[in-house]
Amino acid sequence: MADKAVTIRTRKFMTNRLLSRKQFVIDVLHPGRPNVSKAELKEKLGRMYDVKDPNSIFVFKFRTHFGGGKSTGFGLIYDSVETAKKYEPKYRLIRNGLDTKVEKSGSK
Amino acid sequence: MEETSSSPDKETVDREAPQLAAALKEMKEGLDTVKAKVQALTAKVKASQFPTAEGISYLEAKHLLLLSYCQSLVYYLLRKAKGLSIDGHPVGRSLVEIRLFLEKIRPIDKKLQYQIQKLTTIGRGAAESTALNEKETDAPRRTEDLLKYRPNPDMLVSKSDTTAEGGSGVYKPPKFAPASMGEDKMSRQEKNALRKEKETLRQAGQSDYVRELMDDLQGKPEEIREVIGTESRELSTYKAKWEERARREEELFTRAPVTKLEKKKQKHLLKSRNGLLGLTDSFYDEIKTLPLEDDGGEKMSGFGGGGGSSGIRKFKKHKRRH
Repeated sequence: MADKAVTIRTRKFMTNRLLSRKQFVIDVLHPGRPNVSKAELKEKLGRMYDVKDPNSIFVFKFRTHFGGGKSTGFGLIYDSVETAKKYEPKYRLIRNGLDTKVEKSGSK
Repeated sequence: MEETSSSPDKETVDREAPQLAAALKEMKEGLDTVKAKVQALTAKVKASQFPTAEGISYLEAKHLLLLSYCQSLVYYLLRKAKGLSIDGHPVGRSLVEIRLFLEKIRPIDKKLQYQIQKLTTIGRGAAESTALNEKETDAPRRTEDLLKYRPNPDMLVSKSDTTAEGGSGVYKPPKFAPASMGEDKMSRQEKNALRKEKETLRQAGQSDYVRELMDDLQGKPEEIREVIGTESRELSTYKAKWEERARREEELFTRAPVTKLEKKKQKHLLKSRNGLLGLTDSFYDEIKTLPLEDDGGEKMSGFGGGGGSSGIRKFKKHKRRH
């Protein structure tokens, strides 16, 4: 699919020293496209912020605005994968491939 | 230490010498009395008549402060008498400090007065007391009544005690809750009329035509929004609500979950109707003035809200449970 000019803007950028990460709100402008995949977003963010390990970038909670063409979500860039493993919730680590899902038996 | 060569005039010396002599004599007398009393006390303590092990520590601190103050005073006087300067000497500073402390504990003193007196009267009991201050010999009689001022729950009057006021035979209802005088109370009709007026004003401001008129009069620029058809009121309120919500979410860096009702409403609004949703927005304004079948709208104005909104609610497009 042609990359129809996806623009990424970050707002409310904050360096969270306590959790050793940078957190921000991401605005993605994608006119003509239904949605932008998270992998693509991570790659673009890595290029923007010069991140060595793209595994330490987490993007989540994206919502497309009314009418399409624009979506907003949150993003985090950790200082290292170790800190990411320490602070991130499990489901996000699994999404990034840093952890595996444990199959639990359902409630009776 | 430099000896200040104070060169006073002979007249001032002659004038002040008798005053000085008198002051010194007074001081000597005072010191003598204090010495006698303290010696008596210490003798008694040594004879272990007054156990001082568990005293009020506050009083101990106060006594120490007073003692050190007196000592500093005496030293100060000594230096002055010998003609030595006190300019750089720490005694001046310590005098000021101790004086400050004494002033600060004065309010605490006052507060503890009651307690201390009570304790001393109890401690004294029937035994003969050696008055520690002169105040206390006069005080006990006066404070005899004061010491009984403790909280006395027996004196409370119950609220529901109606037989308390005997008297004149006129029935006075018991006062439980505060009641206010209804001075500016409007009658029900007046209140309803006011409400109706407010409602009509509000609804007038919402209609499209009036808004256009107002914009024109105020000179606001015409807004052209890129929307198919007219943007319905429903949609604009929905969008405003969601924008506010988004702003708050970004502030807190979290998302609030979307409830089922919200999802339903979202689906309803996103269904493409080719922009015809806003067509019937000004429908109510047009039918408001028409004489319709239910003329009970006039009588209904007695009920809260007036006939305006309650009458119109019958024509609501999508009866939704809110």
